[in-house]
Amino acid sequence: MKTHKKIALSALGVVVFLLMWEAVARSGIVPARLLPSPSAVPAAFLTEFRSGTWQEMVLASLSHYLVGLSLGTFLGVSFGTAAALWIKWDAFQAWVVRMLRPIPAIAWIPFAIIWFGVSEGAASFLIALTVFWINYYASYAAVRGVDKDLIELGYAFGQGGLIPRLFKIVLPGALPGILSGLRAGLGQGWMTVVAAELFGISGLGMRMMEASGLLATHIVVLYMVTIALLYGVSDFLFMQVQTRVLSWQR
Amino acid sequence: MAAVTLSTTTNGTTGTATSVIDLEGVSIGYGSEAPPVLVDVNLSVERGSFVAIVGPSGVGKSTLLRVVAGLHTARSGGVVIHQDQRPGHRPVGLVFQDARLLPWRRVVRNVEFGLEGLPVSRDERRRRAEAALKLVRLDGYARRWPYELSGGQRQRVGIARAMAVDPDILLMDEPFGALDAITRNNLQDELRRIHQETGKTILFVTHDLEEAVHLADRIIVLGGTPARVVRDVRNSAGRDGSVFRSQVDQLRSEIADNYSI
Repeated sequence: MKTHKKIALSALGVVVFLLMWEAVARSGIVPARLLPSPSAVPAAFLTEFRSGTWQEMVLASLSHYLVGLSLGTFLGVSFGTAAALWIKWDAFQAWVVRMLRPIPAIAWIPFAIIWFGVSEGAASFLIALTVFWINYYASYAAVRGVDKDLIELGYAFGQGGLIPRLFKIVLPGALPGILSGLRAGLGQGWMTVVAAELFGISGLGMRMMEASGLLATHIVVLYMVTIALLYGVSDFLFMQVQTRVLSWQR
Repeated sequence: MAAVTLSTTTNGTTGTATSVIDLEGVSIGYGSEAPPVLVDVNLSVERGSFVAIVGPSGVGKSTLLRVVAGLHTARSGGVVIHQDQRPGHRPVGLVFQDARLLPWRRVVRNVEFGLEGLPVSRDERRRRAEAALKLVRLDGYARRWPYELSGGQRQRVGIARAMAVDPDILLMDEPFGALDAITRNNLQDELRRIHQETGKTILFVTHDLEEAVHLADRIIVLGGTPARVVRDVRNSAGRDGSVFRSQVDQLRSEIADNYSI
């Protein structure tokens, strides 16, 4: 299928989805407060934007997101790489990892509040936690998967020491896998933003919670769309960077 | 356990010897329990010579090469590389059967790889890499990615990378084994030219007897279980018709005589 045909079809899909939604909302089959019509969203946006609430919430969430994402990514990649690199360290931490891994970020909310209070730090902590695990496992697998022959090449040409091996062979070789972990973390991070803010930390999640308390469902939808857009933009930007970084791939 | 010893020499000589590497009673095995693969290998490679190691697959040719390259440790015996004193070079340059290029580096950066651990300036590194690319006739390909190259071109880059470190000895592990016949012939001719132009000492592992007779001026035959050196032949046949054939046939029967499953 040609590219422009593909784009046209995707656009058509979105339009049909919105039209059907609008039709159901207007038909009165479902009461308006249970299902707001999509056409109510632009008006909601204008109100929120004029009062400055929208910008404030987006900026707040963005700051939790960026702090949590960078921290979780950095630590996740570091620990995942370390575990893949050193068998002894891997064995030492294996069961700790198995015990901590299945606990979802939301379950940490009580501790987040006790440790950080209802604060930016608490939200960032929860986001970092989610992102950490995704990157930990992605990096672990990626580093393990690096071609052993290339590592041997390093030894043959005097680049077998830890630093050259790590930075000239292991990390570049694992980069495609590490980047796909980063990308998954990017998306999962936004999901956690909402959960982390539901208990009162200023941001998109909190605003959604407030609006739903007032049954202002059109505002809830507005912030859902906002998150979707923010995710879309961050994923798009990431892909631009990734294509550039991995230009050596066929 | 015997690791590679590097002895530094002046003008490439120690006393009377003009050898680049000396193997003395080298035995090689995997693990500590398993029986050895190769036993009692004694071999001196003269400076500037082109030595081929032949033998059936699994006989330990490549393992022997890996021991000389320092990638595998011999169980016993001595491996000495007489290293020249000139600065900014490595004792060995290794060429693998698969070109083994780093896919995330452009061609010239792949050739620079071995120079990066040496006390060589950035400019010098680039200059030497470009000279090595010219030697293998790939000047103009410096900015390409490995995936853009053919199998033969990749192998040329592999040779350039090994030559760039100006090694005392060039070690080649069945470097043309994975190439098609035409490309292989081309690269064989190129390698002969490179040997003549640079005077590098070359230790070349192959299971292709024609290739060995065509290229090398000395052929070491490995055979038996565990394997040892069964023949050490001076060869000057080159591609000279009947001499070439008889040399190949003779080697073939040597190998067959020492072949055990």
